[in-house]
Amino acid sequence: MRKNWVEWVALGISVLAIVAVVGFLAVDGLTNRGTRAMPSAELDPGGGYATDLGWVVPASVRNDGDAPAERIVLEASARVDGERQTSTFEIDFLPAASEVEVYFGFDAEPEGEVEVRVVAFGVP
Amino acid sequence: MARKLLKACGMGQAGKRSATRRVPEDSASQSAQDLVRAAGGGLLIGLPLLFTMEMWWHGFLLPHWKILVLLGVTFVIVIGYSALSGFRRDRSVVQLLVDSVETMGLAAVVATLALLALGRIGPDMGLREVVGKVALQMIPIAFGASLAATQLAAPEDSDQDTGSSAGDSAAVGTVGRLFVAAGAALLFALNVAATEEPMLLGIQAGPWLLLGVMVGSYLVTLAIVFYADFRGGSSAPIGAGVLSGPFTETAAAYAISLVVSLLLLWSFGRTDGMGLSAVIGQVVMLGVVASFGAAAGRLLVGGGGPSGGGGGRGGEASG
Repeated sequence: MRKNWVEWVALGISVLAIVAVVGFLAVDGLTNRGTRAMPSAELDPGGGYATDLGWVVPASVRNDGDAPAERIVLEASARVDGERQTSTFEIDFLPAASEVEVYFGFDAEPEGEVEVRVVAFGVP
Repeated sequence: MARKLLKACGMGQAGKRSATRRVPEDSASQSAQDLVRAAGGGLLIGLPLLFTMEMWWHGFLLPHWKILVLLGVTFVIVIGYSALSGFRRDRSVVQLLVDSVETMGLAAVVATLALLALGRIGPDMGLREVVGKVALQMIPIAFGASLAATQLAAPEDSDQDTGSSAGDSAAVGTVGRLFVAAGAALLFALNVAATEEPMLLGIQAGPWLLLGVMVGSYLVTLAIVFYADFRGGSSAPIGAGVLSGPFTETAAAYAISLVVSLLLLWSFGRTDGMGLSAVIGQVVMLGVVASFGAAAGRLLVGGGGPSGGGGGRGGEASG
């Protein structure tokens, strides 16, 4: 039926690819714990740096749930030049078990600790 | 059983076509050429959706089982398309299934490479997101790979395989035409089903407008396939069955288009929480695109009778 090595290789790769895609979806779907979206944020204050706009502080936002989250609103706050300043960010979508890096901007380098929290999010 | 089904669909003549093939069947270079053509056809058809943001999002937003349902429907349509126009024509039913698996696998590989090249998947993403995106993009690419042979092959390949490219037309019966219509409707509608536009159009349209759109879709697709003299069109009945006449076949194709539209809207979560009128509105609006796809699919396989289409493939087939 298969007459040359090219077709055998193509068939082998095809079977592997399909088993990988369909197998993963089936197994992940069956073993999914069904936990709700759980977005969380963690700052990296040591990674902050100055830009033309002021001082930016990176943060990683994770979703440890089994469901995706959408329109995740994040707010970081810090004391800058003696006054409390907040910076907000909104993420369109965050898939399950995924992580993205975002940057919060302040007028100048914050004094003391920077705090971040997830203000709100939706479930698609 | 499978052979009977293929025969009923008018697909049973594929096994007779390889005797005059220009390049020997066991040629590795010919096989490589077939694969490159299939990959190219897949990319040609799949590129618009590879660049569609909503398709990336739905890769991780859709539940696992909905993606699996879509892949299953795609596989069935690919089997049918492969029977009609796959990139290897000399085959048994087993070979047909093997070729269809190969088409789906090729689509997975092409989708993965294309998404990597576009930076839509990467090692920093969750596996579920990556697999979901690849799985959704496999659908149009697999359709394109299936169509790559007869419609995108060099003329000499087609002619030597079939005697003439119109050989396909003669082989495709009414059921086969409607099957192709379903696949083409799915392919066309998939291009917009993932976006928000069909939802907005459907929700905002009133009942009279929707009725007008339904009548318009029916009449325009009827004219395109049977009266506009497109290549592959036909002005004559294409068989003896009740669905073989222009009006009945167009009605059947339109009904199939609406079912395909509903399937896609449901798959992409556009029917969740919607009232009946909103669902119907969306189905009718997406049905416009799907019905044009169904018409294009029927033109693609031809099938016209002796007086078909004034120079279309149907006419050539009988000439």
